[in-house]
Amino acid sequence: MNYGELLKLLAPESILALTLLLVLGADATFLSGRAPGLRRAVAASLTVAGCMGAIYWIFFFPIHGHLFSGVLVVDPLTQVTKQVLLLLTAATALLTLETAFTPHVGEYFGLQLLATLGFLFMVSSEDILTIFVALELASLSLYMLASFAKGNLASAEAGLKYFLYGGLASAFLLFGFSLLYGLTGETLLAKIAAKITTTPRDPLLVVAISMVLTGLGFKIAAVPFQLWAPDVYEGAPTPSAALIASGSKLASFFLLEKMMTIGLSSAVGSGAFHALAAGWVPMLAMLAGLSLIVGNLTALAQTSVKRLLAYSAIAHAGYALLGVIANSSQGFVALLFYVMTYGFTVLGAFGVVAVVERQTGSDRLEAFAGLSRRSPVLAGVLFVCLLSLAGIPPLAGFFGKFYLFAAILRAGAPSLGILWLVILAIALSAVSLFYYLQVLKQAFVREAPLELPFSVKPSTQLVLILLALCVILFGCAPDLLVSKLLLALKAAAPGLVF
Amino acid sequence: MVVAMGLEQMDQYAPVLMMALVAIAASGGMLAASVIAGKRGHRPAIKDTAYECGMIPIGSNSARFAVKFYLVAMLFILFDIETVFLYPWAVVYKDMLTTNASLILGGMISFMAILAVGFAYILKKGALNWRE
Repeated sequence: MNYGELLKLLAPESILALTLLLVLGADATFLSGRAPGLRRAVAASLTVAGCMGAIYWIFFFPIHGHLFSGVLVVDPLTQVTKQVLLLLTAATALLTLETAFTPHVGEYFGLQLLATLGFLFMVSSEDILTIFVALELASLSLYMLASFAKGNLASAEAGLKYFLYGGLASAFLLFGFSLLYGLTGETLLAKIAAKITTTPRDPLLVVAISMVLTGLGFKIAAVPFQLWAPDVYEGAPTPSAALIASGSKLASFFLLEKMMTIGLSSAVGSGAFHALAAGWVPMLAMLAGLSLIVGNLTALAQTSVKRLLAYSAIAHAGYALLGVIANSSQGFVALLFYVMTYGFTVLGAFGVVAVVERQTGSDRLEAFAGLSRRSPVLAGVLFVCLLSLAGIPPLAGFFGKFYLFAAILRAGAPSLGILWLVILAIALSAVSLFYYLQVLKQAFVREAPLELPFSVKPSTQLVLILLALCVILFGCAPDLLVSKLLLALKAAAPGLVF
Repeated sequence: MVVAMGLEQMDQYAPVLMMALVAIAASGGMLAASVIAGKRGHRPAIKDTAYECGMIPIGSNSARFAVKFYLVAMLFILFDIETVFLYPWAVVYKDMLTTNASLILGGMISFMAILAVGFAYILKKGALNWRE
């Protein structure tokens, strides 16, 4: 292996790193002292150009390979996921133009890129050391992004809370990894799995799995590791919250799936109702059930839309966990489809919240009153996004849930033991419709005291409309994405046969 | 057998032991020499306080403290840790130069380039400007 090969394998990451330096450099040199609006516009266009360049590169120069037998894995599946992650970041960067909370423009966009770099490495690594480093790169950037509105007390609180909880979760994860290493003497996921089968099941392994799940459960905001989510979503600047909700979720779920199905493929266990067996499946089934109940029921009582989206994110983590629990390639595809479309949807919702917050100064439910008359476009986007989150056909959220339920039922086919979780998920899905409709009721039925039209930036309108179109497109023709994911998973096979 | 192996391993620590003895002897000798040969003089309380640099240890805990110190300390640690990477690199440099020159050179050059950009950035932002 030489340096050229390494650069080729890491081309998207390198492009992103160069963009990051460019954004920082441009903002520190010839843009310093200019109007903040101009600086934001330049930084956002550079960010979007960098992300698009990386997507273009992945698309037109497909390359696959393993570095040091799995420290860095580049296969079709990771490449598809990276493209979606880059799209999410580009959309977030454009939505950032809608806000004006910081004079440190270059740094804010730079940190978004740095977090994305972390996501890309999270997706690409199958070695616990690189996994941890990538996770920390993403997390540290996200902590800073969450606390970036320095003058705002809520943002500082969000950043500190996220950082303290996150630090604790990282410690757990590292402890779990060290136990896994101690048990097997390996750091590569596939080799860890091979060693676990050969030795008799160790109680320490159970401790290791629960510690790893604590660390990763924090990242995906599954109950009982969800306490940070509402405060962070509410207090952090809206674009930061959007990135935490979309890109970070996708990368973390990808990582969780790989960790479980490759690294711990020999300690699966069973979460069936009358046949619980020790392993990670029953643990995840517990997390999923709790997330579904707590997320959906707590969301009912929220009056802040960002907080509502946070609790709905916790509930959606519960749904997505079904895909991991299925422990099959269908489950993997269903999970990815769900989390990817969820990313687009939640980004659209956060975009609308950002505009409403800027114009009315609040993200309370009442602030959305009369939205359909004040800005029909925003109301339309909100309509599509929230109904998709609720799982109404023909939107992407419906098919996402459908695939997840189908995958998990097929995986446990003969006994249907996991049916309890599916029933719970479907029942709570009906509950979720209530709180999404609460927001839509404000937007479409209630009247605002002063119905002045909202002024929305053309770039924001474009992004929001594109996101809503994506949600509709993947709802009407889910096969566009699913077939791509299936093909990619098959091509990526050797490392991912299960 | 076990004992013999243990002793063999302990042998490796002989230089460390010698070093420790020399260090103790040197510092103890200096102190002793200054007590024996030095002039006994006036010894006010001020001589026992922090010397030249360092903070006075007793006082109110809410003393004002320039935030610049933290910034410089942070940057110092950052660059310090980054130079740590040079050591393992330098150790394998010669071997890898014959087998895999592009990796060992390209990797370090791009690492240093990123460092240089970072350094230019902190200079430009005035993070090292003490007067501001």
